[in-house]
Amino acid sequence: MGLIRNIFMTELLMGLKIVFMQMFKPTITLQYPHVKHPIPDGYRGLMSLLRYEDGTERCVGCSLCEAACPSNCIKVVSDEVPGQPLVRYAREYYLDITRCIFCGFCTEACPVDALAMTKVYEAAVYDRRDLMFDKAKLYELGERYLEDGKAYLTHHRMDDGTLHPVEGLGDNRYHFPAVDAEHGGVQPEQIGLTAEALEVEETTR
Amino acid sequence: MEIGSMVAVTLVQIAVVMGVVLLTVAYMTYAERKVLSFMQDRLGPMEVGPWGLLQPIADGLKLFFKEDIIPSGANKIIFAVAPIICLVPALIGFAVIPYNGSFTLFGLEGGGVISDLNVGLLYIFAVAGMGAYGVILGGWASNSKYAFLGGLRSAAQIISYELAMGFSIVGVLLLSGSLSLVTVTEAQAGTWFGFIPQWNIFLQPVAFVAYVIAAVAETNRLPFDMPEAESELVAGFFTEYSGMRFSLFFLAEYGNMILVSCLASILFLGGYKAPLPILEFIPGFVWLALKTWALLFFFIWIRGTYPRVRFDQLMKFGWKVLIPVTLANLLVTALGVYIYNN
Repeated sequence: MGLIRNIFMTELLMGLKIVFMQMFKPTITLQYPHVKHPIPDGYRGLMSLLRYEDGTERCVGCSLCEAACPSNCIKVVSDEVPGQPLVRYAREYYLDITRCIFCGFCTEACPVDALAMTKVYEAAVYDRRDLMFDKAKLYELGERYLEDGKAYLTHHRMDDGTLHPVEGLGDNRYHFPAVDAEHGGVQPEQIGLTAEALEVEETTR
Repeated sequence: MEIGSMVAVTLVQIAVVMGVVLLTVAYMTYAERKVLSFMQDRLGPMEVGPWGLLQPIADGLKLFFKEDIIPSGANKIIFAVAPIICLVPALIGFAVIPYNGSFTLFGLEGGGVISDLNVGLLYIFAVAGMGAYGVILGGWASNSKYAFLGGLRSAAQIISYELAMGFSIVGVLLLSGSLSLVTVTEAQAGTWFGFIPQWNIFLQPVAFVAYVIAAVAETNRLPFDMPEAESELVAGFFTEYSGMRFSLFFLAEYGNMILVSCLASILFLGGYKAPLPILEFIPGFVWLALKTWALLFFFIWIRGTYPRVRFDQLMKFGWKVLIPVTLANLLVTALGVYIYNN
């Protein structure tokens, strides 16, 4: 049997048959520039700054995003709103997208949900200077991709900024240790520590 | 026929045949990419023209305008001549390919072949053997070890498989008693029992399989593409070539593929003869094209199926399997023909 199989090369012919049948199966290619994949709501694309529905800027210039950014690509220059003492805003806001690692920590850090990520992933430009986003560019992106930004904030269980409280929103917010200390400190289980482990840590300290 | 009209007819035939061959080469590259794509659940070229149909033209234009680079240390003259030595044998082989029976067009009589040499098959083998020089010289003149190794491998492979190819054809020659391709084709006219065409493939199946395997190896195609094994030798003998010179090598490779496919369909599949008498209203060149394209599809098909064999496996298969098998087939055929004729 084996000899006959060798002479008639049955194994090679089986391979040919499989490849031939494969030709009639549907292709899985997506004609990319013409057809695009649907992007999930939680997608971390280009950054944008959002406005409230009445048009005022959400950003209060607290610089928490600057502190949270692991790659130090955010620079906030905050100032008082002219004529309104104690009301602050970001006079200038710089975001270096060439250094951004799209981790989304800044959006989680933002206490007023001013930052959101859009679904824009085609960020290629001819001039790298175009990737140094300033405040105007970020608000422009926020206006153009407002729906993306709201969907992003909702998906990540932050506030969508509409002032309508939704069950569970805000659960995922990043807590700065210093901020949490004012509100009774971080609970051990919150950062995955058992009470015993915490005690050991305190005694060694 | 007077000499003037003979020359005119021949020139027109040459122009038409060359045009068809070059067009086939262009669309062979397209067909190869498409068929391979579908075998791999892809779509292939889709951007240039509807379904990417103008892709070969775009590729050709691109290659025309590419910079022509001659590597330093290369032998400039041989480097420039090698692609031509490679291409010309691939194209002049078509001079003896009969593409149709005798026909009359605009009052001029055409033989259906540019030149019906009585040693047509020998002529094809002689000129096809010259193509190996282009490969070797191109590899050597590039002053690159990859190109050189590719050229050497190609030479070894072509010489090894030329033998098996020759032996596999002798059986057909014994059956039809002629080296002229027109006579070989005419000998395959008619049917047995009214439904089996009298093609040589039914009398010489072993020779046909051996011929196809040797043809794949001769044209340096997968799974025998040792000379241009891209994972080892970048691109083989034309590693250092770019632009037009590169495309000449490319043209030669595909031209050779079409030539061996034409030859296979003439020798084993009845050439321009229709398979059944009922189908004879379809002109002969359509049949030849259909048969040739079927074989070209097979070339693509096995490229999509089989992995590359090792070089020692290639040599072992050529010398220890293919040549003995074709020799045995030759012996059996000779005996059969002798007994049949007496």
